[in-house]
Amino acid sequence: MPPAPPLLQLDHVSRRLAGREVVADVTFGVARGEVLGLLGVNGAGKSTTLAMIAGVLAADAGKVLLDGQELREHPSLARTRIGYLPENVPLWPELSVREYLDACGRLRGMARAARKRAIDRELLRLDLAPMADRLCGQLSLGQKRRVGLAQALLHDPPLLVLDEPGNGLDPVQTAQLRELIRGLSHTHATLISTHVLGEVEATCDRVVILHEGRVRHDAPLAQDRGALDRAFLAIARGKTGVAA
Amino acid sequence: MSVPAIARLELNRLYVRPFAWVLAAIALAVLAWFFLLDLNAFLAAQPKLASQPGNLGYTDLVAAPHLLAFTQLSLLLAPLLTMHAIAGERRSHTLPLLFAAGLSPARIVLGKFVAALAYLWLLLALTALMPVTLAHATSPDWGQFAAALLGCALCVAALTAIGIAASAFSSHPALAAMAALLVVLVLTMLDAGARLGGIDPGWLDYLSLPTHLTPFMHGLVRSVDVIYFLLIVVLSLALATRRLAADKVRG
Repeated sequence: MPPAPPLLQLDHVSRRLAGREVVADVTFGVARGEVLGLLGVNGAGKSTTLAMIAGVLAADAGKVLLDGQELREHPSLARTRIGYLPENVPLWPELSVREYLDACGRLRGMARAARKRAIDRELLRLDLAPMADRLCGQLSLGQKRRVGLAQALLHDPPLLVLDEPGNGLDPVQTAQLRELIRGLSHTHATLISTHVLGEVEATCDRVVILHEGRVRHDAPLAQDRGALDRAFLAIARGKTGVAA
Repeated sequence: MSVPAIARLELNRLYVRPFAWVLAAIALAVLAWFFLLDLNAFLAAQPKLASQPGNLGYTDLVAAPHLLAFTQLSLLLAPLLTMHAIAGERRSHTLPLLFAAGLSPARIVLGKFVAALAYLWLLLALTALMPVTLAHATSPDWGQFAAALLGCALCVAALTAIGIAASAFSSHPALAAMAALLVVLVLTMLDAGARLGGIDPGWLDYLSLPTHLTPFMHGLVRSVDVIYFLLIVVLSLALATRRLAADKVRG
């Protein structure tokens, strides 16, 4: 029996921004139940890659396939099958947490009853219930990030795309986030971008290192964590361009 | 489904923002004051007017000018109301959320236009209620009043669409408001400027906003005027959509 196709597949995807090739010929896949870490220094092209996957940016070349279907031809797939948390948490500060999540659910076409159930579930799961009626603009950075994560999970998408989800979280919140991502990996495929090696080591099954817009390393997380450290540092310093 | 969802979200955000309430309160207070002044002037002049042949009535001297005053106030209201529509989303990094929800630029623009227009039309309805409250004491020309109301509604739609387009092309809400204000002022004073400069207005007269609004105030509904306002709406929304789509392409 042939192996099941990956849930998400990037096929030679490229993107130029302001005359510079930010993402160049990137190819990788994310399987169901897998947590993939997209590791790279600032400016490596991680956020641009994730924005293309989420349907926020169009790719100049190549294909983004979800369940074998091209996102460009089926933009509604992004609406129902992808949960996206950008690096800058997108919040409307004048709405309460509950109103914000309700609006996000409505934008994704969820029915009223399903929306209410999903909001209650995510408020509970992300420990947001005590602040459900507080305005988004009054929350701390960590709380805002959790609200952002709640909107990404609201429609229960099979693929989660999280851009630097650990930014601004304190150590306790970071540990909770890692636990949450590990817990979600049983039912969701997850793609996390980060420049923090420890985050990849704590949560991911596989790592793709992106440098200057190109994939330089794509391999399961080895038992020898020191090897990843050395590979990342070597790539970041421009000493090697290994694609595993 | 997504256009009503965007429109509802925008209306919810307006509802919880003090800005929209303050704007409405100031606008209605100013209009109520103008209404009382017009009414007072009309009552004072009524005996003289009654003795003249083809006399002007309540609709000509109070109701229609009152609706016109709302439209003139909307030259400022529409840019202020729409400045945040897209420039604000861009500034607060919430556009990716809308794009990731699978919403096309056209739907986003349309949803925001519908919400802003609903707010301004509600204000127009409240404004129109002021002269209507005196209908039992006078005999308004309902046909002329309806035409004036239609003209104001179309003009406000055009101003709102211009505001949305300015917001789509701006990175900052204040810039969007200024750009929209500039465009509507140019459209309003186009023919007057030409006349002042001693130039034959010619086609400038056709482009000018008052040229197409004035006939409505006299009870005249002409297809050329309706088409003019609809063209501004369609053109402005198309430009806004194009600019928003470019965000996705250009990044």
